[in-house]
Amino acid sequence: MKELQDLARKLLDEGTVKVVIGYEEGARGVRPAFITDAKQAGKLIFDKRCVQNLAAYLNPRRKQVAQLGTPAVVVKGCDARAVAGLIREKQIERDKVVIIAVRCGGVLENSETDSELTSETVSVRCGGCDVREPKLHDYLLGELPPAPPVNNRRVEQIAALEKLSTAERWNFWTEQLSRCIRCHACREACPMCFCVQCTAEKTQPQWIDPSATPRANRAWQTMRVLHQAGRCVDCLECERACPEHIPLGLLARYVADSVERRFDYKACEDPAVAAPMGAYKTDDDEEFIR
Amino acid sequence: MTHRFLSHASLTALVAELVAAKTRVIAPVRAQDDPEQVDYRPIQKLEDVALGVRLTRGSLKEFFLPPTEVLLYYKQTKEGVDIREVPTEAPPQVILGSTPCDAAALEVVDKVMGWDYRDELWFGRRAASTIVSLLCTAMDSTCFCTATGLSPDSFRGSDALLVPVEDGYLAHVITPKGEALLQKYAEADECMKASAEVAQGEARQKVEKNLAAIPPEFSAWLAANFDNPIWKTIALRCHGCGACAGVCPTCHCFDIVDEHDTADEGVRRRNWDSCQTSKFTLHASGHNPRQSQSERFRQRIQHKFSIYPSRFAEILCTGCGRCTRACPGGMDLPKLLDELMTLAKSEATGSEPKGSSL
Repeated sequence: MKELQDLARKLLDEGTVKVVIGYEEGARGVRPAFITDAKQAGKLIFDKRCVQNLAAYLNPRRKQVAQLGTPAVVVKGCDARAVAGLIREKQIERDKVVIIAVRCGGVLENSETDSELTSETVSVRCGGCDVREPKLHDYLLGELPPAPPVNNRRVEQIAALEKLSTAERWNFWTEQLSRCIRCHACREACPMCFCVQCTAEKTQPQWIDPSATPRANRAWQTMRVLHQAGRCVDCLECERACPEHIPLGLLARYVADSVERRFDYKACEDPAVAAPMGAYKTDDDEEFIR
Repeated sequence: MTHRFLSHASLTALVAELVAAKTRVIAPVRAQDDPEQVDYRPIQKLEDVALGVRLTRGSLKEFFLPPTEVLLYYKQTKEGVDIREVPTEAPPQVILGSTPCDAAALEVVDKVMGWDYRDELWFGRRAASTIVSLLCTAMDSTCFCTATGLSPDSFRGSDALLVPVEDGYLAHVITPKGEALLQKYAEADECMKASAEVAQGEARQKVEKNLAAIPPEFSAWLAANFDNPIWKTIALRCHGCGACAGVCPTCHCFDIVDEHDTADEGVRRRNWDSCQTSKFTLHASGHNPRQSQSERFRQRIQHKFSIYPSRFAEILCTGCGRCTRACPGGMDLPKLLDELMTLAKSEATGSEPKGSSL
């Protein structure tokens, strides 16, 4: 913690950055912090409650953050994949952001609690974590903690979905998505949704009806998750934002698993590795073209 | 006002009678996706209800202003356009066990719904509804109803208010609608009234410590401080997702769209909208007067605590705390209001404000 605070203080004092985006203690658990004054650097913390993916604040749509000036951002290994995604897709420049990576032993599902990390309390995204020591960084802090306990809930949910017939899976998602109110909070909170104009809001032609009807909800979420294929970093900001508590992370993970199987690609920390959405390989599997 | 006593058995019977008479009964129930959470949903019997367990995730808004609803159907013919409007009368519904803040929110929103244009769909549902609230005892640290002039035992917007007493509930019967629903039950005795008063007093104390009352002059301070630099940094952590507006019982903005089913026919719908997204103020020219989240969040605060009161003499907030609970970015409305009120007060008294932790 002191290491993090000292680094933030130094970066702000020497003027390398104008803001350090990190975590602080809020009235109800940990929350994102925006430290612009070196004297406030002591507020910064990092622990197992730091679930938020702060890379979201580097997304150029967060104009209120961009206007502060050059940022430093505190990332876990999983979050670093989103920073890499934003660099890969030319949304930010590598040399205009200072990446403070922290070694991480898993985070809780709910940032408002402070329970021990167990297979019940740990976030579903920490299962099988292979980025406890982030590779994309300017500074790497902390000791390497032991691997987090594994929460199998997501794997079990996916296995259950795969056992269903196509019609049953269709019904499952139609039912889940019937709760969608088309507020688009999932998109707004997503670090990787940066389109200036989203297809959901194009009116000439109107690709997707704006009303929260089963047909339009399905069209919207299908469009979004397909656009996220191979780009989603499984940070679950969409699911945390959804006021209707739709398991959007499950949908995204399901698609991410398909991408991995089909294209041997997982969203990674190396901005130089092209994602399937933006690359063409002659040996891509084409069995679906008939 | 009368006070009646409903035993658990009589409340069970009341729900059964209403359901048998095809009245829609809405009450807090355990959420299907997460049994720790509670949502308002139509119920069939009292056993399904989770009364006073915790605050519901959503408010009552969706039962009066659905997230999407059809306003009219249209069809183009050789002669012109056939328009069929939807009926504005609603079938009867009884809300059981709502928190008093949610019932009060409906009355706050009535003002704008009956302002320059009378929203018949809203008032049709309001007229068809009887609201039986329950003393709130499930408040948490995000609640601040007492700061908004309400309380966990507010009568506002409710037709009756239930207070748990031994073996059942004491019902404060507030309106003729409440009397029509509950007149067959016996009058409560003095002992029950005294025990209810103790419970109500305890509930008020629990929430009062969360935030001091919002003073009437706060509204004018906000209006005068529209350009205060504080707005630039107040919403840094806000993603602009609008989840706050979705769960807010008083946010009522909507968007009206026409959707074609075929080339000649379609529906006109209205859908919930939120000032927290950039499209809300996007002009056809491409210009957007609210460029960043700082301006959009300022709008949220200004509308609730300055613009609405200047027009309707009350704030557009019931202190239910849902925006804070729902926010993925950790925005904290009671804390933020406390900081803003402290700033306003320090300006008024000329004292130095303490360091901001916004």
